[in-house]
Amino acid sequence: MRIVVCMKQTFDTEAKIALTADGLIDSTGVTLVVDPYSEFAVEKGIQFKEKFGGEVVIVCIGDTQAETAIRQCMAMGADRAVIVTDPAMDGSDQSATARVLAKAVISQEPDIILGGFKSVDSGSAQVMLRLAEILNLPHVNVVTNIEIGEGKAIATRELDDGVELVEVSLPAIFTAQQGLAEPRYPSVKGIMQAKKKELKRLTLADLDIDPTSVGPANAKVKIHGLTLPAPRKGGRIIGGEIPEATADLVKALRDEAKVI
Amino acid sequence: MNATRQIYWNIQGHIAIYPLFLVAIVIFAYGFYLKYRLWHVGQPVDRNDRKGARAKSLIGFVLGHTRILRRRQPGIMHFLIFWGMVCLFLGTIVVALQSDVGLQIMHGPFYLYFMSLILNIAGLAVLLGLLIALYRRYIKPAEGLDNQPDDAVILILLLVIILTGFLTQGLRIAATHDPWAAWSPVGNLFARLFAGLGAATQSEVHRALWWSHLFLALGLIAYLPYSKLIHIGTAPLNIYFRSLEPNGALTRLDLEDEDLETFGAAKLTDLTWKDLMDTDACVRCGRCQNNCPAYLTGKPLSPKALIQDLKLQVHQQGKLILAARKTAAHPTTGEHETAAGSELDAGLDEQNLVGTVLSEDALWSCTTCRACMEQCPVFVEHVPKTIEMRRNQVLMESDFPAELNGAFKGMENNGNPWGLGWAKRAEWADDLGVKVVATDGAPEYLYWVGCAGSFDNRNRKVSAAMVQIMRAAGIDFAILGTEEKCCGDSARRLGNEYLYQSLAEANIETLNGYGIKKIITQCPHCFNTLKNEYPQFGGNFEVIHHSAFIAQLIAAGRLPLQAKLNGTITYHDSCYLGRYNAIYQPPRQVIEALGLKLIEMPRSQRESFCCGAGGGRMWLEENLGERINMQRTEEALSTNASCIGTACPFCLTMLEDGTKRKDVAENIKTLDLAELVQQAIQSAQ
Repeated sequence: MRIVVCMKQTFDTEAKIALTADGLIDSTGVTLVVDPYSEFAVEKGIQFKEKFGGEVVIVCIGDTQAETAIRQCMAMGADRAVIVTDPAMDGSDQSATARVLAKAVISQEPDIILGGFKSVDSGSAQVMLRLAEILNLPHVNVVTNIEIGEGKAIATRELDDGVELVEVSLPAIFTAQQGLAEPRYPSVKGIMQAKKKELKRLTLADLDIDPTSVGPANAKVKIHGLTLPAPRKGGRIIGGEIPEATADLVKALRDEAKVI
Repeated sequence: MNATRQIYWNIQGHIAIYPLFLVAIVIFAYGFYLKYRLWHVGQPVDRNDRKGARAKSLIGFVLGHTRILRRRQPGIMHFLIFWGMVCLFLGTIVVALQSDVGLQIMHGPFYLYFMSLILNIAGLAVLLGLLIALYRRYIKPAEGLDNQPDDAVILILLLVIILTGFLTQGLRIAATHDPWAAWSPVGNLFARLFAGLGAATQSEVHRALWWSHLFLALGLIAYLPYSKLIHIGTAPLNIYFRSLEPNGALTRLDLEDEDLETFGAAKLTDLTWKDLMDTDACVRCGRCQNNCPAYLTGKPLSPKALIQDLKLQVHQQGKLILAARKTAAHPTTGEHETAAGSELDAGLDEQNLVGTVLSEDALWSCTTCRACMEQCPVFVEHVPKTIEMRRNQVLMESDFPAELNGAFKGMENNGNPWGLGWAKRAEWADDLGVKVVATDGAPEYLYWVGCAGSFDNRNRKVSAAMVQIMRAAGIDFAILGTEEKCCGDSARRLGNEYLYQSLAEANIETLNGYGIKKIITQCPHCFNTLKNEYPQFGGNFEVIHHSAFIAQLIAAGRLPLQAKLNGTITYHDSCYLGRYNAIYQPPRQVIEALGLKLIEMPRSQRESFCCGAGGGRMWLEENLGERINMQRTEEALSTNASCIGTACPFCLTMLEDGTKRKDVAENIKTLDLAELVQQAIQSAQ
């Protein structure tokens, strides 16, 4: 069984976000990690491999920094990886990302394709679904469990008010929600082995993609500006006797917070 | 008249002693050799450097009994038996020299004082020691002892040997009407028992007893290596070969070594020969267990059981391993060895230590507080073995309590076990205007704040107090700010050597890059690892813990402490400050200088009871048994002091949590020493 996992490298969730003078996100000194949702997918992929045999292939779009994240996945147990690195990809939107990913993923002839349902940075939750459309494969989104059967799989997906069990034929795409799998901590043995695993570096040309078809110029989504959220104010404790305090609270909620 | 006695009175054929002795010695040597071979299935380790210091240990810890005597009753017991037996053994040698070498020494005052009086006292001492031992084992069982048949055999054997010795002497005195009898008061007392017997009976009984005494004594020698009495040999060896490295320095693993198939200890053969010899030096006295915070709060860890279970493995698995190696060395020998080899292939599926010697729960219960090692009279090394097993679990198996995942990742990505954004590390100092090395240049003293002092709200107050103190004393200091990372102590003690080394190397590079020479820490864990472990990675700094630093400032009159604080305080010794680094007095000097009345807890200084957070336990849930911090908090409250003083951020957290749980936090404050000094400075101003 060949399991392809789409992995994105993102900012550490604790990273302090700042904007540069021209209004873009400043990545100077920020710790980069495997996106937590990608990590759930990687872990699930490795679990499948351990159970059914086969291999786990990581597919990633990114620059050389992203290779650290790939090695991290390999240390966990992924077998090899394909990374698409091309300057033309800078500033591409989800549609371009999905198109490039589609070429890279399908070249691996996968039985199962996994990825995070969203990423913690841009959080658009679009790439994996676009990928499914491009590849014309069935997909189940936001899953917390996958049971593999003969040529098919039953996935559990989270809904607002319950869960839904969806059966799909393989190959299929599943996007990970928290709870799908608890990512393992790599052993040193794994870290050492990861250094020697195959990492295939591709450019857009290698995938027969015209570099001018991606990038900001072809983006379907345009970002007009970024602003930081207003800093959080500390809580306020309303003192006094309960009847007066209650009245004060209601007043504050109505007049200041304007939530009731 | 020249004082002496006839040697071998009433005994014919005493010369038979020598061949019999030879037999005993051969049996003894064979037994010891078997043990020696078993120890050496372990890894090599050099423990024979600094011979002078090692010899000195023998004088203090063996001859002087300095550790054994820390516990009064068993200490005196052992002292009496040890020195009594040493004297009696010397006496026996004197007899041999006089009788069969021909040295004329058993005469005059030497005969009277040593060979009669002192040896009588020695025999009495052994007797008394044995009675104490019997009392401790069978009358009023002492804490930590477990009785095995071997214990009874040894005590009865020794008792009979001493009694037959006195009886033999008594009979000789009675029969020969020894004019010097008064110099052997105990023998003389026994002589009175036999005064009424006829000469023939006296002679017959004497002969029988004399030979019994001889056979029992030789039997004891032969029995030694097959019983816990092997410690007569292994204890001094263990003391001689003890680690002379700083208490707080764990060994460095070479993670780049590609020949290493495994890191840490998975199996018996991954431990060192010294680790294995430890198990034959242990006499099951139970002092380790009696002081172990995990054991005393009902967790499934006993350092004594760890060593004893390991001993069982050495004896069972060790034999199979030796046989396997023999077969491997001579692959084409006879049937016999092939049979041994096949038996071993089944058995040589060498068992994992975790699961046989130590359960997983026990492995992760250790706080590395070092109470066991501090108490052990024969210097058994419990904690390093535990760490080696943790290393294997983490580095090779990636098998550890799930809650550590977050702590490890936090240290990896953000340089602190809480996993808070590294960019916020210096926020505590934002309003204080503390100098930062990167912008203000290298200071005389680098103030190493540590993760707790940087991120934990409670401990940030301690950092602020330190800033105020150092300013009041006019110290030139700065912090690394966001360039500081976790020192790695927790990671290392949790077995994550890989993470530890990456943190240590990054920190050392930063510190060396700025040419830092002197470092002040407020966390004993940072203090210990920076001082004792960073030298392994090229970080050589003068590291000073804030308690010692403040004590120095006060002694030098550099802090304005005119106003004395009033009230009582009890001080909790942090393991990594106390037992690991022997800093007991400076905190107490600070407390005295502040005018506070110190009330010691029942367990203090080197016997201090861990708060429960050491060894990375800070980042683990405590689900088994009673909570360690609660037991310690109750002990602190039992002093009725109005304040609990600490000098460690983990201890502060744990004990303050304890007072909160007991609902007394309003009245009994838990404060770091720096906060107390800050109060005294503020009230002085």
